[in-house]
Amino acid sequence: MSDEMNDQTNAPDCGAVRELIPSFVGNTLSAGERDVVESHVRVCAECDSELALAHILFASRPRVPAGLLGRIERAAATDRRAPARTWWGVSAAAIAALALGIGITSDRTPQATLEVPGYAYEAEEGEIWVSDDGLVAGAPALDDLSDEALLQFLDELTTGAGGGGA
Amino acid sequence: MRDEDRQGAEPSDLELVERGRSGEDAALSALAKRHHAAAYRVALSFVREDDLAQDVVQDAFVKAFRALAGFRADASFRTWLLTITANEAKGALRRQGRRKETALEEAEEVRSDEGGPAHDAVLQDESARARKMLEQLPEKQRLSVTLRIDEGLSFKEIGEVIGSSEGAARVNYFHGIRRLRELMA
Repeated sequence: MSDEMNDQTNAPDCGAVRELIPSFVGNTLSAGERDVVESHVRVCAECDSELALAHILFASRPRVPAGLLGRIERAAATDRRAPARTWWGVSAAAIAALALGIGITSDRTPQATLEVPGYAYEAEEGEIWVSDDGLVAGAPALDDLSDEALLQFLDELTTGAGGGGA
Repeated sequence: MRDEDRQGAEPSDLELVERGRSGEDAALSALAKRHHAAAYRVALSFVREDDLAQDVVQDAFVKAFRALAGFRADASFRTWLLTITANEAKGALRRQGRRKETALEEAEEVRSDEGGPAHDAVLQDESARARKMLEQLPEKQRLSVTLRIDEGLSFKEIGEVIGSSEGAARVNYFHGIRRLRELMA
């Protein structure tokens, strides 16, 4: 680049142009904005160099593995087929498992602890047993009930029947 | 927002989210198709290992779809997904901490043997060289450059994904670009 070009480095619109460079290489600028960038880099070696680097980086974006999308779709579909995880459903399932002496099993791989944003939430299967849900917390007290009484209790939970209804 | 530049009557992310909440599998598939590439590149920027990056992206989508009910439209779906992806990647790195450290040590050893003319010839490919240099940047600079150049995110969105302020994201990006230019010179 010539000295004349470098003399333009501190032109007041360098900052604005540099903000536009990523969108320029991503081809998301308007025609007018593209003109601004193209005009500027013709006389600014610094921004021209930065634009060249951005072009190189954008052109070398890592390739996405061909099978990844299918893998995501399969995993998501499998997860959606899993039983619903409403607290009600989880509680009923947990009580049933306790009462009948069977464990809840899953063919899904263990999930990582999720640090999701505050607006996302996570319901891990492992949390079924440590939920502060009163029904689950009280589950051990059901040990003293007969199978018949437990089944009746479950029926009342799932149908809403009994319990002093009007 | 190049991933969200849609032509014609393609549904917006928000429309797909709403349909996904209603149990429409096709809507969730469309979201995955639209954003899996960005999620993969973000994951790869963190974990730097293809297999692990794919695991991270898969888990991130499953968790995002599971949590759709809690998604609020005050952030874009893409930013929200990439934030979950970033957190998944951090978790994966923590779980594999010891193994990762070992792998990096081994990689360093290999790199130290790669100073000869043959290696230099390979690096004449500017794209490969740029990516190699990118790997040498501190994490937040590397991520800021990746998210800005590769995915076209705004500095505000980058800040949300990497857990910093908009201003810090901007500083990290420009420091990263400056450092890259020095390394590439």
